[in-house]
Amino acid sequence: MGRVAIFASIITVSTAVSATSALSDDAVDMQDYYAAECSQCHGRAARGMASFPSLRGKTAELLAERLESYRAGEAVGPNSMLMFPIAKDLSDEMIENLSAYIAENFG
Amino acid sequence: MKRRMTALPASRLLASVAALAMTATSALGADGPELSYETVLTDLDNPWDMAFLPDGTMFYTEKCLGLSVLLPSGEVNALLGMPEGEGYASTADDLFCEGQAGMMGVAIDPDFEDNRRIYVYSTSNMTAPGTNRVMRLVVNEDLTEVSDRTDLIDSIPYKPEASDHPFGGPGAHNGGRLRFNPGDGYLYVTTGDTHNGEVPQSPTLLGGKVLRIDTDGNAAPDNNAPEGFDPRIYAYGFRNVQGIAFRPGDNRPIIAEHGPWHSDEITALEPGGNGGWDPRPNMAGREDCPDNYCGYSPNQMEGMDAAERAAYMPMTDLETYPDAMPPAWTNNGLSQGMSSAVFLTGDHWGAWDGRMLVGLMGIGFGGTPVGQRIDVVDLSDDGLSVNSVIEMPLPMDSGRFRSLVQGPDGALYAAIDEGDIYRLTPN
Repeated sequence: MGRVAIFASIITVSTAVSATSALSDDAVDMQDYYAAECSQCHGRAARGMASFPSLRGKTAELLAERLESYRAGEAVGPNSMLMFPIAKDLSDEMIENLSAYIAENFG
Repeated sequence: MKRRMTALPASRLLASVAALAMTATSALGADGPELSYETVLTDLDNPWDMAFLPDGTMFYTEKCLGLSVLLPSGEVNALLGMPEGEGYASTADDLFCEGQAGMMGVAIDPDFEDNRRIYVYSTSNMTAPGTNRVMRLVVNEDLTEVSDRTDLIDSIPYKPEASDHPFGGPGAHNGGRLRFNPGDGYLYVTTGDTHNGEVPQSPTLLGGKVLRIDTDGNAAPDNNAPEGFDPRIYAYGFRNVQGIAFRPGDNRPIIAEHGPWHSDEITALEPGGNGGWDPRPNMAGREDCPDNYCGYSPNQMEGMDAAERAAYMPMTDLETYPDAMPPAWTNNGLSQGMSSAVFLTGDHWGAWDGRMLVGLMGIGFGGTPVGQRIDVVDLSDDGLSVNSVIEMPLPMDSGRFRSLVQGPDGALYAAIDEGDIYRLTPN
């Protein structure tokens, strides 16, 4: 997704979040990120669709492990080429926060 | 099994911003009507297709569950399930889902009132290593059961094993749309190449084709396939055709096709025509390719310029096949997962009366914007180009638009993989 698209999506979700929840700043950031980068394949509720896997019921540890593999360019499953560019620039902290967000909200 | 339909409120402000976010290749349509929507069904499992009776009764498929019907009363009857489906009136033990494969298209016989027949496209393991089938079913009077299954086509290829390709799992590229042409009354069946380089140009393998048959499964008499081809083949040389619609006026079949990291295509078909997709290795200047399929080459796992990809592995190879049917539109050279197609008809659609819609599921790879949207296409009279393509301003959030159907009420019904079927109407 291009920068403009990401930015616009974040504006969209931020508006929704500020109006409907009282999550912490970190949680809101992860909600924004998930909506902009993850939901188009894994779904708004993370239950997966088409040939994209569900993220529901996964532990934060497993999700972090997967993201670290993708960041290292190690394939996990047939759709890995879509995850490589997304994970490539994620920091350790970002992986930890995103994994925790997904596990907590879609566990 | 009965389930109640659920209606959700609109969120117009958010949707309009989200639509802007996804706009990258076409202008938002200002000439069309303002739209409203309601959610007809939600929380479905990968709804794949819908088909309507004149009173609004809606048959629909869920890829890994089965066939159901939504009655005008709002009740849902689950008719024919896969083994994983619960609560269905009957179960077909041979039907299964894997990756992109499963229960896909559904169509209603033009003479349904008399014969109660419907048609479903699904993956089956009745014969190893699995195939895609076109099944004919009979629906009982109170719409609670189907019976008399007859498999009209039982040998459409299925991909049984993983390969070294993007989306390389089993079950890739099945096509799967079923539509009757109101002009000739025949059933059109779209299929996919199953990540197999030999399939699209093969005269006998039924993948990568558009088939045209009667309601007993016989070839239409004037399909005009080349000599030596299976007579059921109406057009061939395709990658993964998930959209087909018939242009009002002349009923010409128009397909929508999902491109390989480049070039989603809309193409007006000719009987016996070649779509020009030929992903075999060691031809047209290509060398060996992973697992004998060049469909994502070169550089299949990393982003690169879409035009360079198109030059190496064209969707429509007009150099090798000069008589191939040229696309009317290529989504500006990008692949964003073009899927279903439908023509809108009716004065209530205003400037969009007679326009073709295509749904895009969205694929963000290699710098291509995700692009989940519905495009409104004004085809030229000769079907060789477009006069305009505009993006439909959606009144709801966008999604992976898998199926678009116009209902008997004139409304547009749109299914997204996430599990919703929406009803869109012009204000």
